[in-house]
This record gives sequence, structure tokens and C-alpha cells, in this order.
Amino acid sequence: MPHEVIMPALGMAQDSGVLIGWLKAAGDPVKAGDPLMEVETDKATMEVEAAHDGFLTDLSAEAGATVPVGQVVAMISDTPEGSGKPGAPTEAAVAPKEDSKPDAMPEGRKIIMPALGMAQDSALIVGWSKAPGDAVSADDTLLEVETDKSTMEVPAGHDGYVAALLAAEGEDVPVGEVIAIISAERPDAPVRRSRAEASQGRPEATESLPEKAAPAIAAQSGPAPKTTPAPRTAGAQPEPKTRSAAEGGRVLASPKARRLAAEEGLDLQRLVDAGATQPFHVRDLETLRQLPAPQPAPAAATSHAAQHLTADVAAEALDAFLDWLAKESAPATPRAATLAAFAAAAWADAMGEPGAVQVEAPPAAAVQYAPAQGQPIADLAQTDAPAILVLRDLVATPLRAMQLGAEATPVLSLTRAGDRVHVTLEGQMPPPVAIALLSGFAARLADPLRHLL
Amino acid sequence: MREITLSKAVNEAIAEEMRRDPNVFLLGEDVAEAGTPFKVLAGLVEEFGPKRVLDTPISEPGFVGIAVGAALTGSRPIVDLMFGDFLFLVMDQLCNQAAKACYMSGGKLNVPMVLRTNLGATRRSAAQHSQSLHALVAHIPGLKVALPSSAYEAKGLMKTAIRDNNPVVIFEDKLMYQDKAPVPEGEYLIPFGKANIKREGRDITLIGTSSMVQVAEKAADLLARDGISAEVIDPRTIVPLDEETILASVRKTSRAIVIDEGHQSYGITGEIASRISEKAFYYLDAPVLRMGAMDVPVPFSPALEDLTVPTPEAVAERARQSVRGELFHAA
Repeated sequence: MPHEVIMPALGMAQDSGVLIGWLKAAGDPVKAGDPLMEVETDKATMEVEAAHDGFLTDLSAEAGATVPVGQVVAMISDTPEGSGKPGAPTEAAVAPKEDSKPDAMPEGRKIIMPALGMAQDSALIVGWSKAPGDAVSADDTLLEVETDKSTMEVPAGHDGYVAALLAAEGEDVPVGEVIAIISAERPDAPVRRSRAEASQGRPEATESLPEKAAPAIAAQSGPAPKTTPAPRTAGAQPEPKTRSAAEGGRVLASPKARRLAAEEGLDLQRLVDAGATQPFHVRDLETLRQLPAPQPAPAAATSHAAQHLTADVAAEALDAFLDWLAKESAPATPRAATLAAFAAAAWADAMGEPGAVQVEAPPAAAVQYAPAQGQPIADLAQTDAPAILVLRDLVATPLRAMQLGAEATPVLSLTRAGDRVHVTLEGQMPPPVAIALLSGFAARLADPLRHLL
Repeated sequence: MREITLSKAVNEAIAEEMRRDPNVFLLGEDVAEAGTPFKVLAGLVEEFGPKRVLDTPISEPGFVGIAVGAALTGSRPIVDLMFGDFLFLVMDQLCNQAAKACYMSGGKLNVPMVLRTNLGATRRSAAQHSQSLHALVAHIPGLKVALPSSAYEAKGLMKTAIRDNNPVVIFEDKLMYQDKAPVPEGEYLIPFGKANIKREGRDITLIGTSSMVQVAEKAADLLARDGISAEVIDPRTIVPLDEETILASVRKTSRAIVIDEGHQSYGITGEIASRISEKAFYYLDAPVLRMGAMDVPVPFSPALEDLTVPTPEAVAERARQSVRGELFHAA
């Protein structure tokens, strides 16, 4: 099985190494430990040994080439012929950042932002010492960069011509990103652009655009401030707020007291209610155990849980009845009086005693009627007797369903959807009574003539 | 049983081990004729000769390096560091070399070395000779750290340290050299990683190291007058730490104070308190409290120096607050 030979990382902050020369030729037999090639980093020159026995094949980097760390430069194969494949990974690995660029770049050696410190992620370009098209020699200063520790000059590293400068003065450039291209021949069309301009041409870079564009713009007018991460305080601010909110209602108790209380089903809140001093400890549980058993809710014995009942009836008969009544009576009987009469009658049937009904039909003021059994609707007069039942006539509103919870007085609500009238009863009363009340009322709405019988 | 000083107990332990094993030897500043400034090693050069009790120049990095090398090549050196404060000088030899040789050689190399040094303030020795720096070495994997709390402990732990095949740093409290305790005539060893329950109690656990064990015991006496029953635990070695004994005690008492003479911040007290909080949380009826030395350079002024270290009265007061269930912080 063939093994890859890669450019090793020989230094901590090393991105690439210069392949000074091969110490074996393609097809040579090698043994693990044999020196394969000589590599130079910014710190030292050293020999790289073979890690496997076999034949050196598929050489994909030439002497003098600067090769990124991790890139495959050759294979150690079982046969002198090797895989026959050219150094396939090489092209992909050369400059992945360049591949996504829409425009063509001049040919040449790619110069990357160097790692000048051990913990350096990026560096600021203070200034370019060469312009596109300029001739450079390897030792010429190409640019000046600033890290968080120092400012220093970076040599071109290669002889040739500046074919492209790919980042602007004032821009913060990640270590390893290509910032320039040096070509062997005088370039026909040297390129100069900023990283911001480059990223504008790349839609996938848009989300980081604002941050990156800022220094570029600033660079037009002078030295740009280094990009700094957004202040963290903004994100951190809400935290203390929620914490103080939590403190307000939190019972202070030791972990052991909480655990024991939970095991025994004791509620520490009862100690708070009893006025005991916090924080609570295990000994306070004894006080808690001796507190009288929690009182059932005071009304529970005599009253019932809140009820919510609904009924649905056709509106046709009610509409016809109200029209007829309005025509036949003079002065016209108010709609409120009719509904109150129905409700009072249903109440009397269900409860066995009469009572006054308050009719609310916003925005009109509430009115009260106390219909007696058999009293003609047209004769009803308003009263101020205390109402035993509230009737909310909400058919003129867009409301469709009610769930307001029980009030002091049972409430019948009327809402309307098309040709249906919806009746809701909310109150606290024995369930059979509630059912009888709502059924009786709904039956009268569905067939008002019955009421007259 | 006879009572001997801690100084004598250490001397006996080293002499017995040197008689037992010819590979054991001593080196350090003033260890031979002078027998150390505290006279702990007096008489050893007479018995074992200058080849096994070596006076070294004043160069801690040099002679600790020699000890590491000797240990790597088959000897069992006991290297004497005159003051624990000088640990700063030997950090590389101790922490980068001795502590890592076994691991980095895949177990092929061992460093059976004992570094004996001291800790403890209130000897009016000023800021550079009064520190308790055992947390520095306890932080480094590969080093064992023993903190004897009496003459009996000092002898048993020293003998175990000398027989250990890995580097051990043993800190004696320089104020305890003249403290006497019953020590049996016969040979005994105290295993590492086995805490000593000095006193059983019901209401609160006081975990003390080195001379703070005495402080905890005196605090327990004070508390007993108030009807508070304190359990006192001496971990003996902080690496390895007998977590089980400590946790079992705290599960029983529901409260704990950890007392150590190192600076309180980022120290031994924080480490032990944190393990209790993590592993016995649902048994705690009060916050675990730390009592270390004040976070200041140890003052030379006696009046000020005495304020920087935990005292029995201060420990007892904290224990009373804990048992009363005081709110230690506004949550």
C-alpha cells in the first residue's frame, strides 16, 4: 500500500517549508529512516526521513518549491512505478483560498501572510514597499506588517516581479492567506486590490463583509485601527438582570435541606410563609414538619371548581322572534329585555328561584331586569336589584369564543358567527345546575316561541 | 511509648532507610557537618560518611538536577531544599524533568527521588523564607506530595517516600521540628493516599494539613465547649488525596472547613472544597469554607505575620457560624 510523503511541520508556527532538494530520485528504493529530502523553514534546514520502506514515486514538488505544511510531495509505493497518478492532491492543496475567486490571477509564487508569533492569528498590513509591476529580489522588503507584539518588515522571499497585491494597507489578514503573487516574468496586467474588494465578488463572504470592509475604507484616509472583536459587555449585560430576577423569588436553603424536603414532599415555601428566617437548613425541616397541614382553599368545601360550558344554536329563530317582537310592541321591546327574560327564566328553571339579570352589550351601558314568571316581555322594566346572573351580549363584536374564568356572578356570553349563536356559561355552581341553566337558555334562543308557552 | 521530636523522627526515618538500602543518599546545602539549619540531619554524616551525605554548593537548580540524574540512573537520592521558598529555583528540574520522566519514557525511566523541604510562617523569617508552596507542586501530575502533621506522621511518611519509585515532595512545617509526639521504636510505614481521622465528630468536618491539623484539633476543643462536635481529618498526602474518607465524613456531618497554610486563593483549600461541593453536594447543609493564609506576602512584622495564618480561634468561629446556619453571602 503506498504511503504519502508530506511536507512536515518542523516548527510551531510554520505554514510551509522550502524543498531544498530531493536526496533520493523517483523510483529509488528507500528504507524507513533514509533521508528523503532537505527542507528549510524560517528557523532551520533539516532532512526529512522516510517513514516506510518502499520506492520513492510520484514526486510532485520540485527543488526550490515552497510547499504548504501537510501537502503531499511524493509517495512511497510498493513498486518503482508508483501509482502512476500525478500528485493529485497538490493542486487542490496549493491555494484553496484562491479557487473560489471569480477572477483570474497572474501566474507566480504565492506569498502568504507569515506567522510572526506563536499565537498569532492575523496581522495588519502597515504598508506595501513595492507596487504592482515592480521588480523585486528575494531580500527586498515587500511589506511591513504589525502584530499585537511588534511591527516588522517581511522580505519578498523570491526574485521576480510583483504580479499581484491582494490585500490593502490597513487590512487585517489571517495568517496563511495569500497576500501577493511574485511572477518570474514581468506581468502584463499586475493586480492590486483589497481583501474587501475580493470578498465583495464572493457572495459566500458577505456575512463577514462589514467587519472586513471597515478597515479597508478607513485605509483610504489614513492608518486604520485594528479590527477588534465586538465588545463583550453588550452580550453579557442581560445576565445579571435575569439573575437578580431569579433571586427575588428563590427560597434560600442548603442542598441537603432541599434534598430532604423533596424526599419527604415538604414545601419549603411554607417556611417562608410562616416567617422563618432564611437560609433554611436541615434543622428547619423539623419546624416545617410541625407546621399545621396546609389549609384547603377556603371556598373549596362550599363551592365548585370554575366551569366553562358552551352551547351553539342556529340564530334564525331568534332573529325572527326579535324582529316580530319589535314590530308587535310599541314602544319596541329592547333586545336586552328579551334576552334577560330568557336568561331569568332559564335561571329560575335551573335554580328553582327567580332573580335579576344584568345585561351588558358594550358599548351600551349595562341594564338590569328582574323578570317574574309569566310576566310579558314587553312589560319588563329596568331594575336595580342585585343581579344573580350577568348576560354579555357580544354578537355585535368580532369576539367568537370566551374563556374569562369564573367571576363573582355567573356569566352567560353570547357571540355570533354567521347564522350561529354561541353561548358560553362561566361560573361556579353545581355541575347539574350549570348544565340545566345553559341548556334552558340555549333552548329558548333556538326556539323563542317556547318561552311564550 | 517514647516521645521524640519531629526533627528526630525525620532523622530516624532517613537513617533507617539508608541502613536498609545502600542506594539511598542525601544531598543538599549544609546537610553534612551542619546537619541543616534546623539540625534535622545531625549525626548522619558521622554514620554514613561524606559519600552518602553530600554538602552541595549554593545552587539549588544544580543539585536538584544532580538528584534527578542520580535517580534516573539507579540511586535513591533524598535532596534537601533548605527552604520551601527555594522551590521556585528548581521548577524545571522538579516539574519538567522529574515529574515527567516516567510518563515520557513510557514507564522505562523512574525517578525514585525524595525532595524534602519545609513550609510554614510565624517564624519571623520574612516573605522569602516563610511561604507554604505545596500547592505549586501538587498541581503538577507526576509528583506526590506529603504533608506530615506530627513526629509520628513525619517518620512513617518519610520512609514511604524514600521507598516510592516516583518523585515525592515532602513538606515539614519548620515550626514543628521541636514538637514531640509518641513514636514507636519499631519500624512502621504510613501509606500514601490514606487520610487519618484524628478525631471523630458529628456536626462539622475540619480538614487540616500539616500544622493546620493541630489548629483544627485545638479548634475542635474550643467547639466542644459549645457542644459542637467536630471531626478532624488529616489527609496526610494531598497527592494522592484520600477523597473517600473526606467525602464520607462530610456526608455524615453535612458541613466542612478546609484549613491549609498555603495562600487561600488557587490553593489546596479550594481544591478540596471543590471536590466536596462536587461530590457531596446533596449532603451539604452549609457552604464548604476555605481557610488558608491571607493572600499577601508573609509580613516580617510579628504582629502582622500572626494575622495571616488561620488560628484555632478563627477556625472555631467559622465553624460556629457554619453550624448556626448563618448566611455566608447574600445569594
